[in-house]
Amino acid sequence: MKANPSDVFTGTYYIDGDVAAAYGALAAGCKFLGGYPITPSTEAAEAFAKKAPYVGAQFIQMEDELGSIASVLGASWAGRKAMTITSGPGYSLMMENIGLGAAMEIPFVIINIQRGGPSTGVPTRTGQADIMQSRWGSNGDYEIIALAPDSPQESFEFTIKAFNLAERYRVPVMFMADECVGHMTEKVVIPEASQIEIEPRRFYTGEKEEYLPYKRDKDLVPPLVKAGDGYNIYITGLSHDEKGHPVLDSKTLPDITKTKATNKKSTNQYLVDKIRKNKKDIIELEEHNLEEAEVVIVSYGITSRVAYRAFEQAQKQGIKVGMLRLVTVWPFPDEKITELAQRVKGFVVPEINYGQIVFEVDRCSQGKANTILVPHGGASVHNPQDILGAIKMIVSDNKKYDKVIEYTTGLEKEIFKGSLTSMINK
Amino acid sequence: MEKIIEIFKKGIEDSNIDRQKICLVTDIPYPPEVTEYLGIDLFHTSRGRAIPFATGMKLSNTSLKPVVFIGDFATLGGNHFVHAGRRNMDLNVICVNRYNYKKIAEKEVPVSFPRIPFLPYATFDEPLNIPHLARSCGGVYVARWTLLHTDELSKSIAESLSKTGFSLIDVISHDPEVLDFYYKNSEERPGEDTLEVKITADKKIIVGKFIDRERPTFIDAYNEQLSKALGDKFIRLE
Repeated sequence: MKANPSDVFTGTYYIDGDVAAAYGALAAGCKFLGGYPITPSTEAAEAFAKKAPYVGAQFIQMEDELGSIASVLGASWAGRKAMTITSGPGYSLMMENIGLGAAMEIPFVIINIQRGGPSTGVPTRTGQADIMQSRWGSNGDYEIIALAPDSPQESFEFTIKAFNLAERYRVPVMFMADECVGHMTEKVVIPEASQIEIEPRRFYTGEKEEYLPYKRDKDLVPPLVKAGDGYNIYITGLSHDEKGHPVLDSKTLPDITKTKATNKKSTNQYLVDKIRKNKKDIIELEEHNLEEAEVVIVSYGITSRVAYRAFEQAQKQGIKVGMLRLVTVWPFPDEKITELAQRVKGFVVPEINYGQIVFEVDRCSQGKANTILVPHGGASVHNPQDILGAIKMIVSDNKKYDKVIEYTTGLEKEIFKGSLTSMINK
Repeated sequence: MEKIIEIFKKGIEDSNIDRQKICLVTDIPYPPEVTEYLGIDLFHTSRGRAIPFATGMKLSNTSLKPVVFIGDFATLGGNHFVHAGRRNMDLNVICVNRYNYKKIAEKEVPVSFPRIPFLPYATFDEPLNIPHLARSCGGVYVARWTLLHTDELSKSIAESLSKTGFSLIDVISHDPEVLDFYYKNSEERPGEDTLEVKITADKKIIVGKFIDRERPTFIDAYNEQLSKALGDKFIRLE
């Protein structure tokens, strides 16, 4: 389905990533934003609020982030595409209801413009330290999808992508931008509506009497209805069966695939399966020179843009370097990393935190390749020279390390002094 | 639990509201049979977040009539209660209130200990005057009944469903043996100043309809403000 022309503000703009995300959401058909302003995401809410009345969309400033996310869940059940916009501390407050959204299988998007953390952290500066929180923040087993844009143009495009994925899989989708992307002003081209592909909500089309809220299609995703349409649905955050009725039986909960009581299956396993089994369709990666690479940079969000400079410099210096950019950070591309680990010497993982995705890379490399973390404490981006230094370190060091190495400026020089091993073992 | 649902059902029937548009939003699980019995949609949300969930529903589809069941002096999500009242969001809040006081009208409440294991020595905490809170926040309909005031309660539910705006019905609820005690120690005072209706050890429980007034809702205010700002260039919320 194509976007609705009245929702798309076609044109060429000079705007920041926050504003571009708001325009992307509107173009995707988002009609509800429940939010509470928080730096550095406020401009996104402002831009949405300004345009919303013209397209029949609603912005409500809720009393807090707990209320914001709850209102988004309610709005989505009532039939509108919905989202919230926040940053670290607000995101933390939303965690409980992200779990509820995942359990009820509600399509919605959270725009998280990450700041440096923890806690109030550095509100006006960048960070990438919420990336594990986005995956594991709420209690229990569930899967989400997370996207990481690296420019205002992508801010626009990925918001649309986020809504499409949310509707396609009935899942919370995390738009994990950061302050740098949010506050970076660049040229953004918004195309005609006819060029924007939109995933419409998958409404149930069968007989009303036969509707079961969690009866799944082949792709494990159940179709939706709207609240108040006379289906008499029972929707709960308790583990439930196809009817939506609570199933609190220890025998059926852990492994529903083996039980024969068809209407007593819990959806818990489906919550993870619908994403894991559709991983191939969900995961999007950007690859540069992976075929010949001896060392691969794995990065996401704004850091992938910085890392690209290091990639170019390394290439100029004749190093066989490749780059893998995680467009979707979650679900994680396990197979891709495992496959690369068989043939490269090592991975360089720069991220604006003290080690989050690097351990995923290390897990997937299964001891086959070295993994170097280039950490950053936040409030600014990496110096490409540090990433380059880490690349050189992998290339020039033939030792195999049994743990993730943390790169610090100048560490590569230690290799030649022979003191690296002792430094790492400290 | 069955009792309040039964009374609620009667309230819906007496209200002439399109049953299909009523959505029950709760923060504790009612049995699934309740939905079938009532013939409406039921959403069991996370603890204390039923009011903002219902707020989202109402704004997303204004033809819906969300009814929110909360509990126990609105402790969880009290802030949502305050702000839904302030906005005069078109929600019907029914507080199924079990967190009651140890003494009523100078008499010890016959609390059945095993049913509230976390309050083995009865409540000493100061209770919140919910009807007064609802009134101060801007609720347009405020009433209180015990669960044994069956007819009065269902009438209040019907009335509040027919009203547009934020309404609160404080339902003093408990186990059957205690309920009887509450019923006998209550006093009906319609139109009583809500300042005087706090549950205290020395007074009877004051019940009745306290507030019934009109105020522009959030949706009215939105449409009015936007037409001031944008004339007819915006899509009205209706």
